[in-house]
Amino acid sequence: MTVDQMTPLADRRGSAPAAGRAGSRRHTSVVTRRHRAFYMFAAPWIIGFALLTVAPMAYALWLSFTTFDGISPNWHYVGLGNYRELFSDAQTWRSLGRTGLFAITSVPLSIVAGLGLAVLVNRPLKARGLFRTLLYLPAVVPPVGAGIAFKQLFDQNSGAANGVLNLFGIDALGWLADPYARYVLIMTVLWTAGNIMIISLAGLQDIPRELLEAARIDGASAWRSFRSVTVPLLSPVLLFQTVTGVIASVQTIMPLLLAPDPTPAGITALPQSTYLYMMHVFAEYFAFGRYGYASALLWVLFVLILVATGLIFRATSGVVFYNVDPEAKK
Amino acid sequence: MRPHAGAALSRRRFLSLSAGGAAAGAAALSGCAMRVSGAVGGSGETVTVMAKADDISVDLIKQAQKDIGVRINTVLYSTSKLIAMMTNGNPPDLVRGVGAVDAPYFAARGVMEDLDPYFARSSVLKPADLDPVNDLWRYDGRTQGRGPRYGMAKDFSQDSMFWYNTGLFDEAGVEYPPELDPVTYEEWLDKAKRLTRRRNGQTTVFGGSYNGVLTPNLLTSLTVAAGGNLFTDDYSRVDFTTPEARRALGWYIDYCRTKVGPSIVQPDPNTWDGPTFQANRLAMSNSGYWLGGLINADKKLAPLSRLAPAPYFEGGRRVSPCQAGTGFWIPSKSHNKDAAWRVFEWFFGEAPAKARASGGWGIPTLKSLRSLMPAQEDYQKRVLKVQEAELKHYSVIAFTPYATADALLALFNQIAPAAMTGGMSVDTLAGRLNSAMNEQLKRGKEQVA
Repeated sequence: MTVDQMTPLADRRGSAPAAGRAGSRRHTSVVTRRHRAFYMFAAPWIIGFALLTVAPMAYALWLSFTTFDGISPNWHYVGLGNYRELFSDAQTWRSLGRTGLFAITSVPLSIVAGLGLAVLVNRPLKARGLFRTLLYLPAVVPPVGAGIAFKQLFDQNSGAANGVLNLFGIDALGWLADPYARYVLIMTVLWTAGNIMIISLAGLQDIPRELLEAARIDGASAWRSFRSVTVPLLSPVLLFQTVTGVIASVQTIMPLLLAPDPTPAGITALPQSTYLYMMHVFAEYFAFGRYGYASALLWVLFVLILVATGLIFRATSGVVFYNVDPEAKK
Repeated sequence: MRPHAGAALSRRRFLSLSAGGAAAGAAALSGCAMRVSGAVGGSGETVTVMAKADDISVDLIKQAQKDIGVRINTVLYSTSKLIAMMTNGNPPDLVRGVGAVDAPYFAARGVMEDLDPYFARSSVLKPADLDPVNDLWRYDGRTQGRGPRYGMAKDFSQDSMFWYNTGLFDEAGVEYPPELDPVTYEEWLDKAKRLTRRRNGQTTVFGGSYNGVLTPNLLTSLTVAAGGNLFTDDYSRVDFTTPEARRALGWYIDYCRTKVGPSIVQPDPNTWDGPTFQANRLAMSNSGYWLGGLINADKKLAPLSRLAPAPYFEGGRRVSPCQAGTGFWIPSKSHNKDAAWRVFEWFFGEAPAKARASGGWGIPTLKSLRSLMPAQEDYQKRVLKVQEAELKHYSVIAFTPYATADALLALFNQIAPAAMTGGMSVDTLAGRLNSAMNEQLKRGKEQVA
């Protein structure tokens, strides 16, 4: 072999690394562009989240260590004093207890009511769309409007509810006072069952018809099919509704809307059964001007919600069935 | 390799930029926080006024531009907004306040501008022409009603007086109250019971409403009428267990317990007396002269309506206080005090003040404007006669600087319903109110320099 015959081979070997490096640079460039695009598109949300959620929460955390009342120049750092007072305040514990009771009452009732309505309007029936609309409509009424309507409806002296009772010879009741106030509050929650209905309806329509037919062929009754097929397949939806329902019920301001005097000072006149935790927070902030103490109350609520959510997920992990196995992604 | 403008945006760099953006955004939000609504364009200085919608209308804003060349920007009144604006160092230039309860609270905290130098130089708001009600806006560092002047009332009423509907009195066969002589509080309550009508467990006609402007003001006034004082001499504590306070509190609890009128245990959906009185469903309304503004506009109701002197307690003291005295004050950190004063002067002494005086919604706070009060109709003349006779019983009833009226009201609303429904004695209530309110007052005192 002559020297001339060896030269092309040497040239070929020299060009391969260069080509590889060029390909690698192109790949890196694509990845970089994708990352950049993600960050740029996510930036508005992240900035908003930082400004409107993280910063206020941090500020509230700072306030929770002070006696800040918004006006007085002589506020002080009190360390964990607000938290110590919080845990020894009977009113705080009572409102928290009532809130817990409200949550474990209203959330299941709402889910059952919504699911029941969804099952009804998922069946073949005439004017089904109309019924779905009518049942959903209350959920789109703003809470303030609903509160005002219920307040008028259940007023002792001029409300329609007592008008109906009077038709049957029954004297008017003080619906917006204890012991009836809690039931009115529950009714306001059930009034918005249309929200739950829509979500449940979407879940129902996602259940394969074949599974229900197979169950029926195997001799399962309607109730058995519902319990063994429908509910398990709806379990992720029910879990979602439970978690969001608990959070919403704990944070509800509906008692304020039903209050005889919906002002900061009037909030403490709520019937005791509807003086929930957020009403207590509202009063401490805006009636008593105790921004530090109220901020501590909110931070404790935040932690409690996290704990409650974690407990719900843990308690339901064995009974929630996902069509896509979440383990598959690990 | 050196980084350059086209370099990849790393995670660390992105987060740093986001943090910087957040900080810049926060600063921008702080600078423009809750500014400007209801602004009317024009040249001249700009004054930001925190007020309610019916305090400063758009027409009034235009009139200010025309009359004094000042542009008014309004911010809807809210304690939260006020706190936020004051905290970020950008307070409004004029702030609405209820003189009877806000003046000592804010003045004690050093956030109000002393207006005495401005009044001294004013040719419109002359100190000698100021109605005594404006003393609600004075505070000497210890007691309301004396010392520097921090604001002014836009109009006022003597809020322990009451209106009554003669038609409902006739239907019930109840004799009218005397025209110029007061009834006792016990007599008032007895009339209210006799005037109340119920059917099927519902109250179709309230015999009378007596809730004052705010309950703490009412209880303070009632206690003074009974011959005592609700607050201790240094205003740092309440005492509901004195005989006078006990009597006053007991009367009010009886009023609520017997359900002759609206209360927190028998709320009126209308939330204020006007519509209910207008609907002939309220025989007596504890509202001062100001309710005449609504009554005068109702040609059927006006001839039937009369104003009566403030009641009194037998053996007590005849006193006819103002429980509100709503007006404006200038924050000490306002950046535009002189322009704010120009608006203040115009609002309280010029065209707007004259319009308010002739409208009948309140007594003017300048003595020279009293002649503008409505007096064309016979029923207006009768009302004016009663009102003029009542003025001599006015005096400032000082309120504590260590708590807001809202805070004390919230505590009252929290504790008192049990007594109003018969579940707690008045003596127990008095003790519990003392305990709760004095704790709030103690906290407030710690925050006053």
